[in-house]
Amino acid sequence: MIGPLLQLQCVTIRFGGLTAVSEVDFQIGGRELVGLIGPNGAGKTTVFNLVTGVYQPTSGAILFAGQPTANLKSNQLARLGIARTFQNIRLFASMSVFDNVRVAVQLHSPHGIRDALWRGRGFREGERAVETQVMELLEIFNLGRFRAANAKSLPYGDQRRLEIVRALATRPKLLLLDEPAAGMNTTEKVALTQLIRFIKDKFQIAVLLVEHDMQVVMGICERIAVLDYGIKIAEGSPAKVRADPRVIEAYLGDELKIQN
Amino acid sequence: MDNAAKRFLFAAVALAVIVSLCSSYFNRYYLGVAIDVGINVILAVSLNLINGHTGQFSLGHAGFMAVGGYTTAKFALLLQGQLPPWAQPLIFVAGLLLGGSMAAVAGLAVGVPTLRLKGDYLAIVTLGFGEIIRVIFQTTEAFGAATGLTGIPHWTNFAWTWSCAALTVFVVACLVNSTYGRGFIAVHDDEVAAGAMGINPVRYKITAFVIGAFFAGVAGGLYAHHKQFLSPGGFDFLKSIDIVVMVILGGMGRTVGVIIAAVLLTILPEALRGFAGYRMILYSLLIIILMLTRPQGLFTFGRAAQRKV
Repeated sequence: MIGPLLQLQCVTIRFGGLTAVSEVDFQIGGRELVGLIGPNGAGKTTVFNLVTGVYQPTSGAILFAGQPTANLKSNQLARLGIARTFQNIRLFASMSVFDNVRVAVQLHSPHGIRDALWRGRGFREGERAVETQVMELLEIFNLGRFRAANAKSLPYGDQRRLEIVRALATRPKLLLLDEPAAGMNTTEKVALTQLIRFIKDKFQIAVLLVEHDMQVVMGICERIAVLDYGIKIAEGSPAKVRADPRVIEAYLGDELKIQN
Repeated sequence: MDNAAKRFLFAAVALAVIVSLCSSYFNRYYLGVAIDVGINVILAVSLNLINGHTGQFSLGHAGFMAVGGYTTAKFALLLQGQLPPWAQPLIFVAGLLLGGSMAAVAGLAVGVPTLRLKGDYLAIVTLGFGEIIRVIFQTTEAFGAATGLTGIPHWTNFAWTWSCAALTVFVVACLVNSTYGRGFIAVHDDEVAAGAMGINPVRYKITAFVIGAFFAGVAGGLYAHHKQFLSPGGFDFLKSIDIVVMVILGGMGRTVGVIIAAVLLTILPEALRGFAGYRMILYSLLIIILMLTRPQGLFTFGRAAQRKV
């Protein structure tokens, strides 16, 4: 593919008088693992919602694989290859672990309403193929043993993983993770770091990680962009960002003070 | 389960026809109640697709039923004298399909403008819509206005009713129990997450409304040819609430539970006839007790995850 996978060009969004994100330029390459960080209220999740079609930018453009995404709804973006997880886990609460993933696999299933009613051979084979795909995905992430359990009955860390599996089941080109480490302890964070790296290598996709936790971001991201009050104040390798005085002032400074 | 579903459909239709052929041996009153039960099963199971599975709280089901009922009845009254007697079943089937289709169009007309609404708001709008339909029939001279439509031929029998009920159950169960149909439940659980997974919530909601309304229309047609008389008062919001109660009592999104609830709630008022004046008090009291003791639905056992037909 020529050019970056995702490109934000001078993106601005205002809510009434508040400029939540201001003239942000940002891009992600085909198989890059990029982090987006910033203090609370910096506009990280807003950027996230802009990319996933929840909000439309007031000005500027977002391109995915060279195509403008203006006015596309989140389900259309999912079809293009953007998948996401949610900061506060949003699994389908009344469904089993298996069905949560099955819903996502449906995106690429050719069988619609007529096949579901006619139940011919093509439909039955299709359903079996879907089942195989779901089980393969669940097995890769060691969730196979929970297949029949209710999604919300899983331990917290497993729910987070299931949400990632569900997103992967849509066969994305770009996976957006919204604070995946939120509420995790140190051991779980280490496991999460390994998991994200594994996903990127195994599925050969780009990952955008919006994260609060420096340990996770610094450990795995190839490139980091820093937001503060809706403005991008720095971008570069983890080492470069860590050394940037503006970043230290805006974000790390507070944390360092607390640590001392 | 695929062939099992089709086998269920054929077996149910065959059983309905056999029972119907033997109908002269049965008590006419019981047969009438059995047809009432069948019609309510169609209404409850079709509403369950909208309210239970897709989570769109609709109070307008009686409105869809009215559209179907009046269309089917008017169609039959217009054609009745002009065609030979052997064409009767054809008129009936065509009328039911027409009634269902008109109700589906009404479902589309309600579904599209109300897509942005959720929960209570949607309930209020659909309630208003149902009342509008009722008032339209109440004021239109061609549909008998307030006096109602009389002289509708008695064509509904056990076989037609229960075949339609079996078809409704088949369609709703097959839809929901497919990878495609899990989308309805996804929309019910979390619309935002469903959208992010490539599900088009708008399309699923409209589909649910259209299919649900279609079967409500068919039920209306069966009702018209069963009672042989239609009055607008029979389609007021209390009728919608009756159907909603069946869905809630059966357990939202649980087809088998909803069927059993529809059967129980139709038979119960009949069985309580002996109590005369206290009948409706007892009926309401029983519903209150049931809701208090089994708020998750009368026939919901085990965990919510085990969604079966």
